[in-house]
Amino acid sequence: MRRRLIVIGWVIGLVAAACAPTASPSAAPSGGAASPPASTGPTGGGGGTLVVAIGADPGHLNPAITTSGGTHTASELLYNGLVGLDDGLKPVPELAESWDVEGDGALYRFHLRSGVTWHDGTPFTADDVKFTFEEVLLKLHSRTRASVGPNLAGIDVTDPLTVVFRFNQPYAPLLQQLDVTEAPIVAKHIYNGSDPAKNAANTKPVGTGPFAFVSYSPDSEIKLKRNEAYWAAGYPKLDEVVMRIIPETGSQIVALEKGEVDWVWGVPGPDEARLEADPNIELLRTDRNPGGSNCIMTVSFNLDRPILGDLRVRQAVAHAMDRRQFVDKILFGQGRVAEAPISSGIGFAHATGLAMPAYDATRAGSLLDEAGWKAAADGKRAAAGVKGVPDGTPLALEFLHFPSFARYGELLRSQLAEVGIELNLKPLDPPVFAETVFTNRAFDMNIISYCNGPDPEIGVRRMYDSAQIGAVPFSNAAGYRNPDVDALFAEAQRTIDQAKRGELYRQIQERVVADQPYAWVVETSSVRAYRLPCTGFIGYAQFAATASCAP
Amino acid sequence: MTRRYLARRLLQVPPAALVILVGAFLLIHLAPGDPILALAGESGDAAYYAEMRAKFGLDRSLIEQLAVFVGNVVRFDLGDSYVLGRPAALVIAERIPATLLLTGVALALASTVGIAIGLVAAARVHRRTDVAINLVTLALHATPSFWLAQLAILTLGLWAGILPVGGMTTARSSATGVAALLDVAHHLVLPVAVLAATEVAAIARLTRTGLLDELSQDYVRTARAKGLSERRVLVRHALRRALLPVVTVIGGRVGHLLGGTVLVEAVFGWPGVGRLLLSAVQARDTPIVLGVFLVIATTVIVANVVTDLVYARLDPRIRYA
Amino acid sequence: MRWRPPQWLRTPGAVIGTALTALVLVVAALADVIATTDPFATIGPPLTVPTAVFPMGTDDLGRDLFSGVIHGVRTSALVALGVGLIALPLGILVGGVAGARGGLVDDLLMRFSEVWQVLPRFFLALMVIALFGPGLDRIVLVLGLTSWSLLARVVRAEILSVREREFVEAARAGGSSEWRILWRQMLPHAMPVAIVFVTLLLAQVCLIESSLGFLGLSDPNAISLGYLASQAQRFLRVAWWMWLFPGLALIAIIVGFNLLGDAINDRIRGRR
Repeated sequence: MRRRLIVIGWVIGLVAAACAPTASPSAAPSGGAASPPASTGPTGGGGGTLVVAIGADPGHLNPAITTSGGTHTASELLYNGLVGLDDGLKPVPELAESWDVEGDGALYRFHLRSGVTWHDGTPFTADDVKFTFEEVLLKLHSRTRASVGPNLAGIDVTDPLTVVFRFNQPYAPLLQQLDVTEAPIVAKHIYNGSDPAKNAANTKPVGTGPFAFVSYSPDSEIKLKRNEAYWAAGYPKLDEVVMRIIPETGSQIVALEKGEVDWVWGVPGPDEARLEADPNIELLRTDRNPGGSNCIMTVSFNLDRPILGDLRVRQAVAHAMDRRQFVDKILFGQGRVAEAPISSGIGFAHATGLAMPAYDATRAGSLLDEAGWKAAADGKRAAAGVKGVPDGTPLALEFLHFPSFARYGELLRSQLAEVGIELNLKPLDPPVFAETVFTNRAFDMNIISYCNGPDPEIGVRRMYDSAQIGAVPFSNAAGYRNPDVDALFAEAQRTIDQAKRGELYRQIQERVVADQPYAWVVETSSVRAYRLPCTGFIGYAQFAATASCAP
Repeated sequence: MTRRYLARRLLQVPPAALVILVGAFLLIHLAPGDPILALAGESGDAAYYAEMRAKFGLDRSLIEQLAVFVGNVVRFDLGDSYVLGRPAALVIAERIPATLLLTGVALALASTVGIAIGLVAAARVHRRTDVAINLVTLALHATPSFWLAQLAILTLGLWAGILPVGGMTTARSSATGVAALLDVAHHLVLPVAVLAATEVAAIARLTRTGLLDELSQDYVRTARAKGLSERRVLVRHALRRALLPVVTVIGGRVGHLLGGTVLVEAVFGWPGVGRLLLSAVQARDTPIVLGVFLVIATTVIVANVVTDLVYARLDPRIRYA
Repeated sequence: MRWRPPQWLRTPGAVIGTALTALVLVVAALADVIATTDPFATIGPPLTVPTAVFPMGTDDLGRDLFSGVIHGVRTSALVALGVGLIALPLGILVGGVAGARGGLVDDLLMRFSEVWQVLPRFFLALMVIALFGPGLDRIVLVLGLTSWSLLARVVRAEILSVREREFVEAARAGGSSEWRILWRQMLPHAMPVAIVFVTLLLAQVCLIESSLGFLGLSDPNAISLGYLASQAQRFLRVAWWMWLFPGLALIAIIVGFNLLGDAINDRIRGRR
C-alpha cells in the first residue's frame, strides 16, 4: 500500500506557517517538484541587519550533536531539517519536498528538494541525510537517538534525491522528529571521517539554512549573513543577523528598549506591560523554544518512599496547591494552569475535562488525616498509625529543584505549610540534580520542566514508561509502574491514525491522573519581543527566515 | 642577598601551586554531581552515557584521573571542556584579556585615586575634608560591590541613561579602530568604577594611616626644622616611606580584587573569566573550573611574591637571611 | 589590663561602632520577636511599596521584606559567630605555639599557614558551596578554616615581642612550665590584637557570605541578606525597595564591625 500524503511546495508550507500573526510571507509560487534551482534566481535581501540578544554562549554551533538550548538558539538559522513544523506542529516541507508513508507507517520515503546547496557551494544530496542520521544524530543527539534509534531498521539512499527510512514496526511520530530542532541535517563532506563532536566546523559551521556563518567571538557575538542561494525563493530578506550574548535578561530588555538589539527571546513577566505599551516594540507569544517545546512544570513524587507511596498524601499535596498563584506570581501571566498531563500544545493528544485535583485546602487536610498524619496544635503534622513510618515522624519532605526554579519551591513551601506539610528546599545544579534524582533516587519530591515536545512519544512517554526508570536524566522521575499505561504507550507508537492515537493518549491521561505520580502545575509559555521596523518573525526554529528590518 | 631571597621566594611557588591543584581536583571529584549530563545532554540512553564516560576517561579510577590531569597541566593541557568540546586552556585564554582589562584598569585607578585621597586626608588631618573623606571611605569599604553595582545600574544606567549597563561593546556598532576602542571604554566605565570603589577606600585609608605614622617620625621633624615646605615634606619624604605598606596592601588585595571581578562580571555581563567560572561551576564543567581556579590561585601567589620583592627592594631597612 | 568604659566611648567612631554592633546582636537575638511573620510566608500582595503594614514592602511572591531583613541580619550574625568560633581558637593556638616554641615547630607551622594564606578565600568558598550545595554549616566551616592563618601570624608576632620581656623571664625563673607561661603570660598580651583582628575579619566574612548569597549560593532554608539582594536584581526597575533595605542592613553590620575594630585598635595603641 502506498499513500501519497503530501505533495506540496514551499508556498503551502508558508501559508501554514502564516497562522502565526506576524509571519506575512508573499512568496511567488515555486512550482513544487519542478521548481528551478533556487540559486539561479534569488530575490529577497535588502532587509537590513537584525540584532538578536541571546542569553548564553553557545560554545559551538552544531545543533546535531546536542540538545542544548544555548547552541540551538544560536545555530538553527544555519541549518534545515527534512521537514519544518508549523504553528499547529504539522510537518511542512523543508529539505524534503514531499514524502510517502508506506507499510502502515513502517517505511517513510522522502523526496528531497533539488538544487539545494551547502553554504560552501557543494550540492546537498540524500547521502548527507543518511550520513547525518547514522554518524551524527543517532550517536550524539540524545533525544533523536533515544526515540528514533531503537525503532529504526535502516536508512537507504535510492537515488541522489530520495532517502528511505525503514522501521521494525509502524512508527507514528517520525515526521514530528525531523525538524531543525530534533534532526538538523549536516554536511557529509564536512564531517565524514572525523569525530563530529570535535570537528572544527562546529565553530565554523556550513549548513543549508537561510543564513550562513560569518564569525563567532566566544561569549560576545555571532555574525551571520544572508544565504544568497537559499532554496526558498525571495528569502531570506535580512542581509545580516548579529547575535549578541547578553546573559542577564534585565540587560537584554534595557538593550531592546534603547534600540541596541531588535529581538529578545524572553520577556520577564514584570517588564511585559511596559514593553506592550511601547509603540516601537511588538510581542510574540509561543510555547516553543529552541531547547524544547510545550513544557509543563511538574512536581514528581518519589513513589518508592513510604510517605509518598500513599495516594492520599499525593492527592493532599495536589489539593493544597493553588496553581493559579504560580501563574500569577511566578510566571506573571506567561503560562496557564496545566489542565492535563499532556500539554495543550499537542492538540490531538491533549485531553480535556479530566478530573484534575482542584485547590481545596480542607480536602487536603482531611486526606492527610485519613492517611494517618495528625495535626498538632501548631498545625504541623506527624505520623500516627502510618504504615511503614514510626509514629511521631514529622511530615517533612525534601524538595529538589534547579536553582533557577527556586521560586516554585518557595511558593509551594508556603502553600503546603498551610495544610501542615513542611517542605525543605534543596537547590541543586542540573548535573547534581540529575544524579540525585535519577541515579540515586534520593528525594521525596522535586520539580522538573518536562518539555512534551511536538509529539508525546518524544517528551511524555519517558515520564510514565516503567522501562524508563533509572539512571537516564529526565526520564521516569516518580518511578511510576503501570503495565496498562506501558501497553497503551506501545500501542500509540504503532498507531498511525491520529484520532485513534489521540484516544489512546486520553486513556493514558485518565489513568495517570487517577494514580497521581506527578502533580502537573503550570504550562509555561514564552514571550518574545522585537523592535520595529523589524517584522515578519515566527516564534521558533528559523525565526528570522521570513523577517525584515527594512523600514 | 636579595637574589637568595628571590630564589627562596620563587621556590615556594610550585609546591603551593601543587597543593592547590591536588586539593581542588579532589574537591571537585569528591563533590556530588555527574558531569555526564553536560557531556551528553538530557534523555540519552544508558549505553550512550557509558560511551561518553569512556571517551572522557571518567570511567577510570580517581588516582589515574589525577595522575593524567597533573601530567597534562604541566604541559599546559587542561583537557577539553565537557560543555564546549574545545580545549579548556583555549577557552580560558579567550576570556583572560577582558578580565585583565577590567582588573588592570580598576587596580591602576584605585591605586592612584586611593593614594591621592589618602594624601589629601593626611594633609588636612582632623579638618573637615579629612572627616568627610573618612566617612565616605568607611562607607565604601563596607559596601558590597554587587549592591554598589546595582546602585550604579539603577541611577547612571537606567534613570539617567548615560552609561551602558551590560556587555563590552555596543550591539549595533560596527565601529573599528579608535571608535571601537572608545566604545569599549564607554562600557568599561561602570564596571571599573564599581570594582575600584572598595579598593580606593582600602588604599586611601591605609595611605592616610601610614602618612600620619611617618609624619610623627624624627626625620620629618628634622626636615621641617630645615625649613622645607609642608608639601615637600609630605610628598618627598613621608609619602615614600608611607607607600611601603600601601604596596603590600595593593599586592595583597589582588585576590580580593579577583573575587570582586566575579561579582562585577556577573552583574554587568562582562565576558571575562569570572563569568566563565560561574557557568562552568553550574554545569560541573570540571576542566574549566579547575583551570580557572588554577589561573586565579597562581595569579594570587605570584602577586604576593612580587609584592614581597618590591617591598624588599623599596625598603633598605629590610634584610633577609 | 584595665578597661575604662567611660573613656572607651570617647570618639564618635567608637560610639557608632559599639551601637551598631550591639544593635545587630539585639536584632539577631530577638529576630522572632521583632518580626513575627515568617519571612518565607507569602502573606501579602506581590511587589508592594513600603507601607505601614509592610514597612519595607513585599517581594514578588508577596513575602514581608521587613521580616526578611531582620532574619537576614540574624543569619549574618550566626555565620560571623560561627566563623569567629572556629578561626579565633585555631589562630591563637597555631600562632601561640609557633611563637612560644620557635625553631622547627615555628617554621613548619608558618609554612603551613602560608599555604592557607595565599588561598583565594572567596574562590575556595565559592567552589566548595557550589560543589557541595549550599548550607550554613558549609559556609561557616569553609570560611572558618580559611580565616585563621593571618590571625596566627599576628598572634605569633605579639608572642615573639614579649618572649624575652621581664615578666616572662620572671615566670620562667619562677619555674613555670612553657605551656603555663604561654597561657598565663603571653596570650593575655596577644588577646587585644587578636580581638581587633577578628572583629575586622568578621566584617570581611559578612561581605563574603553575602556575595555568595548574591551569586545564588545561600542556604535556601535560612533567609540571608545576600539572597535578598540577588532577588532584587530581577526587579531593579520595578521594586527599588527590594534592593535598598537588604543592602543598608549589610552596610550597617559591616560598618559596625569595622568601627568597633578600629576603636579597640586605637585604644590598644593609646595604651602602649
